[in-house]
Amino acid sequence: MKIKIYKKIIHDGLAWIMAFIWIIPFLGLLMAAIRPMDELLHGWWNLETLNLTFKNFIGAWNHSNVPLNQGTINSLLIAVPATVIPVLIATMAGYGFSRYRFPTKRSIYILIILMLALPQQMIAVPIFSIINKLGLINNYFGLIIVHTAWGVPWITFFMRNFFTTLPVEVEEAAKIDGASDVRIFFKIALPIATPAIVSAVSLQFTMVWSDFFLALILMYSPEKLLATQRIPLMRGVYFVDWGLLSAASILLMLVPILVYTFFQKYYVKGMIGWSSK
Amino acid sequence: MHRKATFTHLAIFILPALLLICVFVFYPCLRTISLSFFSEGKFSLHNYYEVLKSRDTINLKGFSKGFPLGTLFHNLLWIIIHLPLSTFLGLTLAVYLRNVKGGSIIKSIIFLGMVMPMITGGVMIRFIFDKNIGIVNEFLKLFGFLPKAWTAYPETALFSLIFGSVWLWTGFSMILYSAGLETIPKDLYEAAQIDGASSMKMFFKITIPLLKPITIVIVTMTMLWELKIFDIVYVATMGGPGSASNVLALQMYTYAFKALNFGKSSVVAVFLTIITLAVSIPMARSAGEGR
Amino acid sequence: MLKKFTLILVLSVLLVSLVSVFGFAEKLTVIGPWAGAEQEGFMPVLEAFTEKTGIEVEYKIYRFEDLVTMLPAQFSAKKTPGDLIFMSGTEWMVKNAEHLADLSGVINEGEFVPGTLVSKVDGKLLAGTFTGKIKPGFWYSKSFFGKHGLTVPQTWDEFVTLLQKIKMVPGIEAPIASGNGTGWPLSDVAEHFLISFGGPALQEDLIAGNIKWESNIVKGIFEKLVFLLKSEYFSEPAEWTTILKQWEKGEYALYFMGSWITGMVDNPDDLGVFSLPGCEGMVFGPDYFNVPIYSENIEDAKKLAAFLAGKEGQTISASSGGHIATNLGVPVEVYPTVDRGVAELLKGVQSLPDLDDTVGGEFQPAFWDQLKLLWVKPDRLDDVLEVLDEKMP
Repeated sequence: MKIKIYKKIIHDGLAWIMAFIWIIPFLGLLMAAIRPMDELLHGWWNLETLNLTFKNFIGAWNHSNVPLNQGTINSLLIAVPATVIPVLIATMAGYGFSRYRFPTKRSIYILIILMLALPQQMIAVPIFSIINKLGLINNYFGLIIVHTAWGVPWITFFMRNFFTTLPVEVEEAAKIDGASDVRIFFKIALPIATPAIVSAVSLQFTMVWSDFFLALILMYSPEKLLATQRIPLMRGVYFVDWGLLSAASILLMLVPILVYTFFQKYYVKGMIGWSSK
Repeated sequence: MHRKATFTHLAIFILPALLLICVFVFYPCLRTISLSFFSEGKFSLHNYYEVLKSRDTINLKGFSKGFPLGTLFHNLLWIIIHLPLSTFLGLTLAVYLRNVKGGSIIKSIIFLGMVMPMITGGVMIRFIFDKNIGIVNEFLKLFGFLPKAWTAYPETALFSLIFGSVWLWTGFSMILYSAGLETIPKDLYEAAQIDGASSMKMFFKITIPLLKPITIVIVTMTMLWELKIFDIVYVATMGGPGSASNVLALQMYTYAFKALNFGKSSVVAVFLTIITLAVSIPMARSAGEGR
Repeated sequence: MLKKFTLILVLSVLLVSLVSVFGFAEKLTVIGPWAGAEQEGFMPVLEAFTEKTGIEVEYKIYRFEDLVTMLPAQFSAKKTPGDLIFMSGTEWMVKNAEHLADLSGVINEGEFVPGTLVSKVDGKLLAGTFTGKIKPGFWYSKSFFGKHGLTVPQTWDEFVTLLQKIKMVPGIEAPIASGNGTGWPLSDVAEHFLISFGGPALQEDLIAGNIKWESNIVKGIFEKLVFLLKSEYFSEPAEWTTILKQWEKGEYALYFMGSWITGMVDNPDDLGVFSLPGCEGMVFGPDYFNVPIYSENIEDAKKLAAFLAGKEGQTISASSGGHIATNLGVPVEVYPTVDRGVAELLKGVQSLPDLDDTVGGEFQPAFWDQLKLLWVKPDRLDDVLEVLDEKMP
């Protein structure tokens, strides 16, 4: 009996040590963000002199070139619509694919699945050209549309899988009672689908927030740059101030980490939902 | 089972999504493919020839002289190293953390690497491998190694990115395997134990085979990630030094938006897509089947 | 009901368009790449112009790479985002000559340092020149030199001896600090060697593509650089502001930099600078600007152009430090002390354009990238030169 307990303590202890090792880089980042550069020059793990300061966070937030306050607002202005709209459209499409029969349905669906593999690079140049012709380069709408279109395939696939697990009996009954399909969707299917929708929202929001490539090619005015774009600009053209860069990185990560923390269950279910049928 | 759809139904449910996809995803794909076949206004395979011949893509001399080996090989290396490591590590961690007190917190910590934007992932990798303030060097100092600027040297730049990305991505396979492990009925283990099977045997005969479907998902998604990598390289090394850490996605970007050569950039995009499609076939097959 | 609504709609559209056309017609928009402290140095120039002429000026930040993406579309729609645009790509300006106004009536060529007014197509002057920054050579601390009995070298051999001596000084990591921004200033070092040993004409020939990187003359010059690299006289490339601090602390003795460094150190008066012996050309990066013909306030923009290129505008800029005038009419006295030394250096040598800035395109990032490789693997010189030739347009 005792041996078992010891074994468990060692096992758990090792697990916690592993967690600690895993989190060390984050600790380092935090240290770089809150301590002055001189202290860091010879290793942030040296704790002899410890002058904590939030200067870097303030500096990153109010940076003279690429302030993160502006960047965060821009990223939100993109991420919120680019989450809500595709989730709405794709949920309806997912429902459609799960409930209806129509010619070419299978081919279209396979096409959609194939799109899940696509790299963004495959559409980059033509998308630039299309958005340019629409006059939406460097315009929030342009980026929102592209993110929406990019999100629809995976969310359709995801929601369709979910809807296939829902028994149709309730819907059939409502239909017999004379309800229109649209009504059935909004009053019956959608409420039940809430958990799946929350998953889709968490994942899509995180993906849009974290996007760098699409923003890189479609947005360039300094005041409109998204938060992700501002990070490499803080490093590199003239300065690499690790303190500033770390603080900026932390501020950028905070949003998706918060989403993950509050919606963890749905987030994880979302990732798994890809596979389970 | 399935209702027959009327045109109105389709218009409301399917059409908006389909329209968006056709205009902003499907058409651009076709356009990129066509761009790849045009060189100086004429239909030709010249772009393909140029890209394949270019040392940016395949640099055979690199095998004797040292990095760069070409983007194709760099991405391949990424897969060869990163895939087994992160998958195996993820499985081990999932198993190990099964009944640990506070296990979910530990899992969350490990998963954080996946949640953050990959731009910051690249910053973290640069940070970890930095000569003066990086922990890798500090750790190696304990064993008597001299500190090195890992990302500045061609022979180590790519590897530092790859190993750094293992730290970032292992959480994915771990979380998925954790979920997968939960779905294995406990009675299978109990029955095997009664039959006198050792835990090793149970692991290999029960656990692993039952985890096959989720392994396919993990392997596919991980490979896709390894092929599409862009942000990390962009911010950590920008493909350098001397293209030693260049990857296909970054190569495509450089051709398109720096050299303004859309023919070549489209070729790279097409290659990348062919490979990703090929990789996705097993998963797509199992998803497209049924219903 | 519908009628009322349409009326209101039409009126509001009219109002908005009136406001946008007339409300801001008087304001000029200037586009430049500077931000932060650099922008602070530039604003007084614009403010002085407003004071003098009453024309309001608004400043917007755009980097050259972004402009290259945005302008073609705008120009083809006969629009422009700015009335006066600063950009470093003189070749780009030449290629887009049809969209740019002729400034030859506004700017008098004779007033300028020879070689600084460029971008002329068929007698049309496409770009005006403002102040600029020089990349004179290796900066050092005078007190450091004094303390260790070091002197400025007059020949190549003396330079190598100097490096040997510096290497012996305790506390020195390496004699020359190698900064690594996105690849420059490694590129500046390389160009300095090319100019010093190949003459100013070599820089120009390389830019024009008349000489190959793999040619014997270029290779020979690089071999001198490789010799220094192999003897470990250069440090590993490191983030260039971190290494600046270390240089100030005495861990490095020499730092090849541009003249803006005078604004970045605690003790600018302690700074001295020397070029490689025999150097007859210096990379002078003036800030060029153009006026697109689609500007709605083209006459006012031309006035601004004249002001910026002229003595008045340049004097204000020069006095803020770190900037060297291209206009010969700017007296030496307006410069802060240390800049005076730099301005003196420019006399008697030919001013040259920055190589990678001018060639641009795919070459520039490749140039930087290959130099980063050369610095850590000097024996790969042949490969590096091969790639450079490949990537030349």
